[in-house]
Amino acid sequence: MLRYILKRALSLVLSLVVASILIFVTIEIVPGDPASYMLGLNAQPDTIENLRRELGLDKTPVARYLSWVGGLVQGDFGTSYTYRTPVADMVADRLMVSLPLALYALLLSTAIAFPVGVLAATRRGSVADWSVMGTTQLGIAIPNFWFALLLVLVFAINLRWFSAGGFPGWEAGFFAGLKALTLPAVALALPQASILSRVMRSSLLDTLDEDYIRTARAKGLSRRQALWRHALRNAMIPVLTILGLQFSFLLAGAIIIENVFFLPGLGRLVFQAITQRDLIVVESVVMLLVFAVVLITFLVDVAYALVDPRLRQQA
Amino acid sequence: MITTNSNHHTDAQLRVNGLNLSIHETPILNSVSFDVRAGEVLGIVGESGSGKSMTAYSILQLLPDGSSLSGSVELEGQQLIGASESELCDVRGDVVGMIFQEPMTALNPVQTIGQQVAETVYIHGGVSRRAALKVARETLNRVGLPEAEFALDRYPHELSGGQRQRVVIAMAIALKPRLLIADEPTTALDVTTQAQILAVLKRLVLEDRMALILITHDLAVVANVADHLVIMRHGNIVEQGGVQEVLATKAHPYTRQLFEASGHKPDREGTSLTDKPLLKVDGLIRDYRLPRTRLFGPSRYFRAVDDVSFQLHRGESLGLVGESGCGKSTLTRAILGLDTIQGGVITIDGETVNAHHTMALSLRRKMQVVFQDPYGSFNPRHKVNRLVAEPFHLVKDAPTGNALRAVIAEVLESVGLAASDADKYIHEFSGGQRQRIAIARALVIKPALIILDEAVSALDVSIRAQILDLLASLVDTHDLSYLFISHDLSVVRSITDRVLVMKAGKLVEQGPTEQVFLHPEHPYTQSLIAAVPQLPD
Repeated sequence: MLRYILKRALSLVLSLVVASILIFVTIEIVPGDPASYMLGLNAQPDTIENLRRELGLDKTPVARYLSWVGGLVQGDFGTSYTYRTPVADMVADRLMVSLPLALYALLLSTAIAFPVGVLAATRRGSVADWSVMGTTQLGIAIPNFWFALLLVLVFAINLRWFSAGGFPGWEAGFFAGLKALTLPAVALALPQASILSRVMRSSLLDTLDEDYIRTARAKGLSRRQALWRHALRNAMIPVLTILGLQFSFLLAGAIIIENVFFLPGLGRLVFQAITQRDLIVVESVVMLLVFAVVLITFLVDVAYALVDPRLRQQA
Repeated sequence: MITTNSNHHTDAQLRVNGLNLSIHETPILNSVSFDVRAGEVLGIVGESGSGKSMTAYSILQLLPDGSSLSGSVELEGQQLIGASESELCDVRGDVVGMIFQEPMTALNPVQTIGQQVAETVYIHGGVSRRAALKVARETLNRVGLPEAEFALDRYPHELSGGQRQRVVIAMAIALKPRLLIADEPTTALDVTTQAQILAVLKRLVLEDRMALILITHDLAVVANVADHLVIMRHGNIVEQGGVQEVLATKAHPYTRQLFEASGHKPDREGTSLTDKPLLKVDGLIRDYRLPRTRLFGPSRYFRAVDDVSFQLHRGESLGLVGESGCGKSTLTRAILGLDTIQGGVITIDGETVNAHHTMALSLRRKMQVVFQDPYGSFNPRHKVNRLVAEPFHLVKDAPTGNALRAVIAEVLESVGLAASDADKYIHEFSGGQRQRIAIARALVIKPALIILDEAVSALDVSIRAQILDLLASLVDTHDLSYLFISHDLSVVRSITDRVLVMKAGKLVEQGPTEQVFLHPEHPYTQSLIAAVPQLPD
C-alpha cells in the first residue's frame, strides 16, 4: 500500500514538473515578448523596458523558470501587473469562494446521485428506473447557466429565499456565505448529479450480474444485503473516476455560473486576467489549477487502492 | 424415463417431484423428479442445455427474471415452492449450500476470504462477528486451507483456482447444511486439483452426513463419486438409478451415446507417419518481465518456458499436456512467432521462426491455430466467408471473386458444413459448428501444421467426439500435422501419436502416447494420469 502511494506521489510530482515547463514555455517564451504583449500596441519603449526589467525578462529563460518555480514553491506567485497586488493574495481570496463552491456542488451531486443510482439499479426496468433515466437525460441536456437563471427567477425573484447573486464574504458568517453559494452550487450540481447517477446505475448493474453476487445470494443474503455488502464497493471504481473528473471541472470550470451569480471566484479571475493580458496572474492560476487536478487524480488513485485490495499489492 | 432402481424413496433429504420451469415462456425443465438421501451423492449428468444447472438453481429458487416454477421441492419435509423470499433466504446457506463452476469469479474480490466465509455464519443470525470468524477459521481448516498459509485476511486474488474453490466450499458448508449442491465444481480446474476437490467433497459428505448433488457434464467424474445418477437431456430426465446399474446396463440410448462419446477414440488407421521433421524446437527459453520491486532496481524475470526441445514430424499428431500455468500457451505463442524468444531456435521446414516483421509470410502460412473459445474467436459482424477467407492475407496471389467462393465452399464442405453457410453470420451457428468454422479458417490456406490450443475443451462430449473424428480424417486428406494442446488427458490419448508433458516451463517427459499413458516414468506424469477420472468399462 505504502509503495503504491509512493509511486503515485512520484508520478504526481513528475506531472507537476512537466506541466510547469509546458505552461512556462507557452506563456513566457513562445508568443514573443510578454512585456510588449501585456502593455499593448501603443506602449512607450521605456515603459516596456521597465516592465521587462520588473518581470526579469533580461535574464535567461532557465533562470526565469527556476525563479518562477522557486517562488511558487514558497507561495510567492509574483505581483499582478494590473492590480499591483501579490497574485498569491488574490488567488487565496478567490479560492475562498471557488473551493467551497466546488465542494458544495460535489457534495450535492454525490448526495443526489448515490441514492438515485442505487434506486434505479435495484428497480431496473421499473417506472422509477425509467423516470430516473429520463430526468438525468434532461439534466445533462439543460445548459447549466439557463438552469441557473431559472433558479434565480424562482428562488430569488419570486420566492425571495435567496439573493440573486453576489457573495457577502465569510466574514458575514458561515451560514450567510453558504446561503449565497447555494443556488450556484445547485446549478453546478444538476448536470454532474445526472451524469454520476447514470454511471452509478450502470456500474451497479454490471456488478449485480457478477458471479460473486450469485454466491452471496446462495449464502442466504437477500437481494438488498447482496447489494450493500458486495455490489456497492465493487461498483465504486468507475464512480470514483467520474467523481475526480467532476471535482477538477467544478473547480476550474465554474466561470459561467460565477458570472451569472456575480461570484468573485477563480474562473472570473482567470477570465479578467486574460482580457487584461495580465500574464503573471494567468500563469500562476493555471499552474494552481493544474496542481489541483493532479492532486485530485492522486487522491482518486489512493481511493482506488482503498476500495480494491488488488491495486494495493500491485507495485 | 427409465428407473433402474426403485427402492430409494424412504428417508429422503430432498424430494423433487414434477418440477417444471419456464423462462419467458420457453420451457426449460419438464417434470423433473428425483430424491436425495442424507450421506448420499446424486450425480446429475447432461450436456449443455440439458437443464442440469437450472435444476440446481430451481431448488434454491435463484432463478433469472421471468422464470415460472411449478411442482414440488420438499426439503426435510418443508415445501420450498411457494415459500416466501425471506423463508428461502433462511434456507439458502444454512440448510442448503451451493458451490459454483467458476472459482475465479465466485468470490468477491474486495473482501477477505475470512469475511466471506464468516458471512455465511452471521447472516443467519445468533452469533457475534468474532464467533463467526472462529467458525470460518475452523471451516477453512476442514477444506484444507490451514491457518499458516491461508490466514483469514487473505484476498481471493492471492489464491489459485483450486484454493478459491476450497474457499467457496467452505462458504457453502460453514453451517453444516443438510444438502450441498455442486454445479460443475471441478470443470474449470486441472485434473490433479479436480481429484483433490472431489476428495474434499466426498469426505465432507461422510463427516457431516450431508446429501450432495453433483452436477457435471463429465460422466467419468460422477462415476467414481456418485451413488445415484440422473441423466438429463433437453430439460427431461432420461434415466436415473444407482450408478452401477445405470453405467452397466445403459438402458437408455442417450445414456449409451453419452457413455460412448465420453471415451470416444477417433479412427486414425490411415495416418501416414513420417520421420521428416516439420517443426523443430531447440532449447527454447521464454522470459516474462515482472514488475520491478524497487523503483530503479533491476528488472526481474519469470521463466515461463525453460529450455524446451522437441520435434514434430510431418503427418504426426503431437500432444502437449500440462496444468494451467505450466507454459503451454506461452510455448504456442512462441511457435506461432507472436512473441520474441529469449533463447533457443524454432524452425519449420528448416526456416527460423521469429516474432519480427522479417518473418516471411510463406513461413507464417505454414501454421494456423484453432483456439478454445468457439464464441469469442470470431468477429460477430462478419459473414462466414469473410471470416474463413481471413488467412488469405498471408498469401500473395490470393484467389478472388468466384475462385475464392469456390475455395471457401470446398473448405466448408470438408469440415462437414454446407457451401451455403458462407453467407451466414457466426451467431447462427452452435458451438460445435463454430469450431468447425474455426478449423475451416485454419485449413483454407493449406497449412502444414495446425496448432489446436484446447480446441475441443469447451465442447460437449458428443460434439467433441465429432470434432475429433473430423480432425482425424483431415490428416489424410489435407496432409496435416497437429500440435494438440490440452489439459484433458483422455482426449490427448485418443488423438495423438506422441505426447509431451510439461511442468513449470520444462518438458518432464516425452514419448509415444500409449507408452507414456501405460508406463509413465516421471512422477509428475504418474500423478497426472492417476488423477484422471476413469469410466468403468
